[in-house]
Amino acid sequence: MPEGSKMKKPDVKVVILGDMNVGKTSLLHRYTERKFKDTISTVGGAFYLKQWGPYNISIWDTAGREQFHGLGSMYCRGAAAVILTYDVTNWQSLAELEERFLSLTDTANHDCIYAIVGNKADLTDPKAQLPQDSDRVSEDRAECEEETGSQVLSTCPTPPASPASLSGVMVHKQVGHEDAMALYGRILRYKGLEENGSLPAEKMCFETSAKTGYNVDILFETLFDLVLPSILRKRNENQQSPTVDLEDCRGGNNKRGKTACC
Amino acid sequence: MSVKAFELVPAVERELLMGDKARINIECLECCGKHLYVGTNDCFIHHFLLDEVTTSKGRLTYSAQKLLHKYLGLKKPVAELRAASALERLIVLCDGIVFLVDMVTLETVPSAAGGGAKIKGVTAFSPTVQIYMVYEDRVQLVKEVTTPEAQPYMILNYSTGAAQDLFPIQQRGRRPIVKRIGREEFLLAAPGGLGMFANAEGVSQRAPVNWSESVIGAAVCFPYVVALDEGFITVHSMLDQQLKQTLSFRDGHILQDFEGKVVLASTKAVYILVPLPLERQIQDLLASHRVEEALTLTEGAQRNIPKDKFQVTDLHKRILQQAGFIQFGQLQFLEAKEHFRKGQLDVRELISLYPLLLPASSSFTRCHPPLHEFADLNHLAQGDQEKVLRCKKFLITYLGEVRSTEVVNGCREDVDTALLKLYAEQDHDSLLDLLASDNACLLADSIPWLEKYHKYFALGLLYNYNGQDSAALQLWIRVVDGDLQDSTRSDLYEYIVDFLSFCSNVDLVWKYADWALRKDPTIGVQIFTKRPTTKDQSGVLNPDDVITYLGKHSQALLLYLEHLVLERRLQKEKFHTHLAVLYLERVLSLLSQSPADEEQVTRGRERLQALLRESSLYRVQFLLGKIETSQELLLERATLHGKLEEHDKALHILVHQLRDFGSAEAYCLWASSSRDSTYRQRLFHLLLGVYLDRNLPATAQSAGGGGGGELEMAAVDLLNRHGEVFDAVRVLSMLPEGWSLQLLRPFLGRAIRASMHACRTSQVALGLARSENLQLLHDRLKERKNPIFVSEKKGCHLCHNTFSEPDVVCMPGGVPVHTHCVAQRIRDSPTKRQLTNSSNHT
Ligand SMILES: Nc1nc2c(ncn2[C@@H]2O[C@H](COP(=O)(O)OP(=O)(O)OP(=O)(O)O)[C@@H](O)[C@H]2O)c(=O)[nH]1
Ligand SMILES: [Mg+2]
Repeated sequence: MPEGSKMKKPDVKVVILGDMNVGKTSLLHRYTERKFKDTISTVGGAFYLKQWGPYNISIWDTAGREQFHGLGSMYCRGAAAVILTYDVTNWQSLAELEERFLSLTDTANHDCIYAIVGNKADLTDPKAQLPQDSDRVSEDRAECEEETGSQVLSTCPTPPASPASLSGVMVHKQVGHEDAMALYGRILRYKGLEENGSLPAEKMCFETSAKTGYNVDILFETLFDLVLPSILRKRNENQQSPTVDLEDCRGGNNKRGKTACC
Repeated sequence: MSVKAFELVPAVERELLMGDKARINIECLECCGKHLYVGTNDCFIHHFLLDEVTTSKGRLTYSAQKLLHKYLGLKKPVAELRAASALERLIVLCDGIVFLVDMVTLETVPSAAGGGAKIKGVTAFSPTVQIYMVYEDRVQLVKEVTTPEAQPYMILNYSTGAAQDLFPIQQRGRRPIVKRIGREEFLLAAPGGLGMFANAEGVSQRAPVNWSESVIGAAVCFPYVVALDEGFITVHSMLDQQLKQTLSFRDGHILQDFEGKVVLASTKAVYILVPLPLERQIQDLLASHRVEEALTLTEGAQRNIPKDKFQVTDLHKRILQQAGFIQFGQLQFLEAKEHFRKGQLDVRELISLYPLLLPASSSFTRCHPPLHEFADLNHLAQGDQEKVLRCKKFLITYLGEVRSTEVVNGCREDVDTALLKLYAEQDHDSLLDLLASDNACLLADSIPWLEKYHKYFALGLLYNYNGQDSAALQLWIRVVDGDLQDSTRSDLYEYIVDFLSFCSNVDLVWKYADWALRKDPTIGVQIFTKRPTTKDQSGVLNPDDVITYLGKHSQALLLYLEHLVLERRLQKEKFHTHLAVLYLERVLSLLSQSPADEEQVTRGRERLQALLRESSLYRVQFLLGKIETSQELLLERATLHGKLEEHDKALHILVHQLRDFGSAEAYCLWASSSRDSTYRQRLFHLLLGVYLDRNLPATAQSAGGGGGGELEMAAVDLLNRHGEVFDAVRVLSMLPEGWSLQLLRPFLGRAIRASMHACRTSQVALGLARSENLQLLHDRLKERKNPIFVSEKKGCHLCHNTFSEPDVVCMPGGVPVHTHCVAQRIRDSPTKRQLTNSSNHT
């Protein structure tokens, strides 16, 4: 296989973790494709390369299914930010974050940033039901009508996976914002971080809706801005590193050594 | 969903390998260039020469020729074969022993025993990793790295011993798969039936593929991951992780890639998985309208395949264009446009889909092989007119956007002509904009098209753009005359007039002005009156020529003369006289009608009078001769007399014939308007004299009805109104004895006041002069005290010449000057002059 078959190297990595069915894939779709579409449960993982100014950010969408749990730490290796996702209508999904997913982040960077995201807010919170992007309102509405054949505010017969989407009524919110903030505090403690030296819980706990787009751009863009220093530092290190990156030397197919001579 | 990415081609068939021996199985393979080595369970190595053969249909097949087989004498299966081609050795693992054989002879090297190295507990997976060096004649253990007992995949740096866990191995008992797919990058079988990628840092840089739980072997053949399980070969794309192809393969046993060649074996036979050319795959995808996948594959290939193997740019462009056409066919115009743009489509490919749009002269031929499957738009739309229309609208926008970019370099004519045709057909507003601006529309091709859609005005513009103004005018005239129908401009006549007024081809102007003038002289004459005067010589018309030309269009001629005289203010006697004569003739002809249209007469006379009064260029005598025949135009006659300074005649007419005292007064003011006050006084006295003349013919006196009293009243009014003009003393001597003081009170009052005023003003002037004189005397006396020196060397302060005589004048301050210089100065000084004048009065 030719040397060049590697993709453009991302500058930084963001990983989305969380139990199956919380809406990780939907969040990423919403952000990258500006729409809410049908998903299938993710197998293994997938990633998306986002151009953020001059930087390339890779966003990894992981599989929440138990079966793929073992891959988590590898995905997190070297991550600059981790998005821990739960479903606001499902208490267990929050509990899983602490029990099952937190330990996967041990391989992440030391200065990794954590965000806790409660998705499907549209099911519990009327203000999350309005289409978000002001510039895309009409498009969103059209899409939603297309998908659901009904008005935005009436509920769509989304896959039964979501226990909430059976009727137009609000669903009971099982996880409050304060629960998420409390978890954030515990994560800091787990990481051995001082609360006042770290990003505040209010800033890092989000409630989103992949379906309406509520808070989705804000979530990703906040994180991208926060990882910028990490990118710059990484670039700096690379410049100072005595090893030459052979990836940049096209045609160096058979070079095995660490030093380049082409 | 599926792509045909690979073809399974037999390489070594069962007979060639083992004949009819049933229990012989293939254990391992090695392939090195054309050389294929097969290790079997009966401890044989078979050596084949594989030749690639391309069939007449272009398919790649393999023909195998058996060169040699050799029994290794260990009665155990040959577990592993590896070629060290530089050393011409095969490394063999059999019965836990690693040893070498010659690649050509298959003889053990060295033939003496002891060349091999016994390996403890060699299995494919073991808690220790042993590293051997292979020399031409021996194998030597150099290092042994112990791995932890737990069994996840791990990255191990054998020089440092540093280890990093990756993830658990999928299932106990299953052979883990670790394929090195590039520098420091591996493909691993992960739990959940995944093919995971990991690099030396333990990081995954590509998304995993979802193959199956029971994968036996895997390889990467860019951009695909090929995996073998118990019944199938699966092909996943690394670009979108999707399953692209499944080939059934029974008893699959080995899948390995050798220098990019993917070789498979069942227990009995060897096959090669031949990749189909990427271009073919992409074309297949396009053929089934899978645009996104085709583009992903193209772009993936472009990033990753060396240039010589994949003609990146041209092919990529072509694929983008094809993709664009597919989307175009689906009426996804936005996407289509984007792909046409990126693929730098020759716009004519698109235009040629629309019947008759390309000019007949276009050299364009569609590219071959074709970019799309459509014969033309009708074929594409299948008779759906709505679709046709949408496609046409799209082309209009698209051409409109590209026509000013470099995309149309070399085919501007084709593009602009096509656009013109579409605009005409669709009755689009921009047709005129296109023609009125820089364009490359082909005339020959556009004429019939514009005619077909009755766009004659537009056609005229195109003629004009092509320098055929005459053709344009003929066409437009036919429209105005109603021979042709085109409602583009309701004001086409005015447009033509305007066009002619700016037309620099004088011959055309002469040719068509006549038509325009006949249609409407007042507008038609604008051809001449609106003509820019500051043009280069070519388009300038000589007014004399125009006047001659307008001879038979009297109304236009009048307007033209008015233009010359009143607007352009040309100071030429000929024009002025001509205009005055025309005015006069017109008034006369109006008057000769009965009953005369009063209003028109009035207007005509006002113009005539204004011209007669204001111009001083026309030939007065000539006009007077013409006017004397008429008894009615007395005011005009008076004016003409006035021009000749025959004021008595004029006033006589005004007072005695017209009895219009207001006009008489106005006449005096007009006739003296640019003269000094003495002249005006003379005229007023003249008028007063006419009023007071006692020796009048009785008829004239009685004609007014009011008798002499009327004239006297006029005289009184004149005096009272313009008292300041008159010389009161002279007036008093003229007035009849019997007039009452009361009657003349306003006049007398003003006269006395004026005379007082003059008297006092002169006294003031006198006083001032005296004081100045005194001042000078004083100065002189002062100067006398000191002698004033005059010599021939001294200059006069006023003229700077020297003095030649002793007579000098002393200026204030004792400056001597010439006497004649002072005299001159006094003459020039305004105050002195004033003083001199006033003192006259005193
Ligand atoms: N109402 C609502 N439903 C959502 C939202 N986000 C996702 N869903 C639904 O939740 C289900 C799961 O969404 P996914 O995005 O596939 O979930 P996931 O976290 O990627 O799941 P795994 O890939 O299995 O880990 C789908 O049926 C979505 O339609 C949301 O914001 N609101
Ligand atoms: Mg998912």
